[in-house]
Amino acid sequence: MTIKQGQLVTVPRADLASGKPARLKARATRQITAWFMLLLFCCALLSAACAPIQKSPYDAAQATTTGQRATAKEALAGGAFNKFFPKSNDAYSVVYTQEKIGFAEAVLKSKTEDVATLSIFDTVSNPDAAAKYKASTQQVSGYPATEIGNNGTSILVANRFQVQVRTKAASFTAKDRETWLAAFDLAGLAKLQ
Amino acid sequence: MATKSIYKLVDNLPTTNITTRVLHALDFVAPGQWENLVGFDATIRAVTGETDPALIQKIGERAVALYNDSKQGYQRAEWLYSTVDDIDTTLAKLALANTIGGQIRWLSFLNRITPKADTLQGLDFSLKLATELAAFCLINGIPGDSIGDFVKALGEYGKESLIRMVALVALDGLIPLGPDFLGKVTSLLSNTTPKDLEGNRLYQGIQTYIPGANSAEKLNLIQKNFQSTSSWMSDLIAKSGLTQEKIVSNLSTIVDLTDRKLDYVAALLDMTTNYYEHTGTQTLARRLIERAVNEI
Repeated sequence: MTIKQGQLVTVPRADLASGKPARLKARATRQITAWFMLLLFCCALLSAACAPIQKSPYDAAQATTTGQRATAKEALAGGAFNKFFPKSNDAYSVVYTQEKIGFAEAVLKSKTEDVATLSIFDTVSNPDAAAKYKASTQQVSGYPATEIGNNGTSILVANRFQVQVRTKAASFTAKDRETWLAAFDLAGLAKLQ
Repeated sequence: MATKSIYKLVDNLPTTNITTRVLHALDFVAPGQWENLVGFDATIRAVTGETDPALIQKIGERAVALYNDSKQGYQRAEWLYSTVDDIDTTLAKLALANTIGGQIRWLSFLNRITPKADTLQGLDFSLKLATELAAFCLINGIPGDSIGDFVKALGEYGKESLIRMVALVALDGLIPLGPDFLGKVTSLLSNTTPKDLEGNRLYQGIQTYIPGANSAEKLNLIQKNFQSTSSWMSDLIAKSGLTQEKIVSNLSTIVDLTDRKLDYVAALLDMTTNYYEHTGTQTLARRLIERAVNEI
């Protein structure tokens, strides 16, 4: 490069003496950055490894019930309960939906709308279900009764069979639930032991 | 056999994927019937109408216990629903990656797709229908060969069960086989031998759960099941005005259908969706929870 007389030339400061300090400084900066990145990466790894595994409120139930029976050997077949369900009439039809070990369920329909579910459960498979009636202060058709949530009314027949009616349509009231509980053949069910 | 917990299966159901988009596109057949209900607690709340967290926990725990008891049949039903779909996840991922404006493009798939021959498609259709019968009986506790009960219950099908049947008729029947698919499958089944059945890959997977002592008896059940449900399917088509054109028009927002033969579309959807597994898990969870709330 030819430099004319009087021309102003800008020379990098580091080049004023051999140029080494500037190169060293750049290398050091690169090294610090690399170490910093590595540190960040390690922190990320560490936090990922230490992050708590998302727990479910059902993990405990899963652990205790895996490979276990959910129904007692003495539980009656669901089919044994069908004859005690209310019968269809002009306004409502009773459509059977489930027939499992110790359990039977039907849907109560008004025209095409599901208004309630009707069920009988043999509590030998879950004694806690029967135990809750000890605190019951209500009765339906002479049997101890209780509410299950906002939508269910149930009774315990012969200290063993839980009969429940659950609202599906808002028009089906708690009073309707009691009416339909009374429509089961409760006396017949009480003899089934 | 499925051993995954029921709450994880329901919690892990996708809120949006190709399957849910396809099912929403078929919503016009049964308007408002299906909502993509995901999450175990959300399902308990929706099915029971209850909101008290302690009660929901109690219902959930009973449902978990019932599902974990292999004798109750729920695990077998879940296995059937997931096995029958045979989803190609690689292709599903590719399909997701190759969307423009939310529409699946064909570029990367053409060499991977082989449409099924009509005979295979027809047999697979009747096997999926038999799977529904088997799973229905397992979930609801009805003897496995109760075709009469199944046909009666089909009339009561709603929500995720109904959209599953709609998808079966639309995606596995009408699109690949055309408007006369019921006639085609009837004639195909009458010419199917037990040996043909044994050679079918889907049958090999699910045959244990098809009632019958041998392939001849199982074939007989598959034929009877198809005959008995045919009128329900033709009614569904007639009532909803379901046609190839309508399905194609509704699916065109999801799959680029320009100049594509419908058997290719059917093959792509078959390989990228798992509507039996998705809605089957939802049906199973609903029934399980309906039972559990009555057993606490």
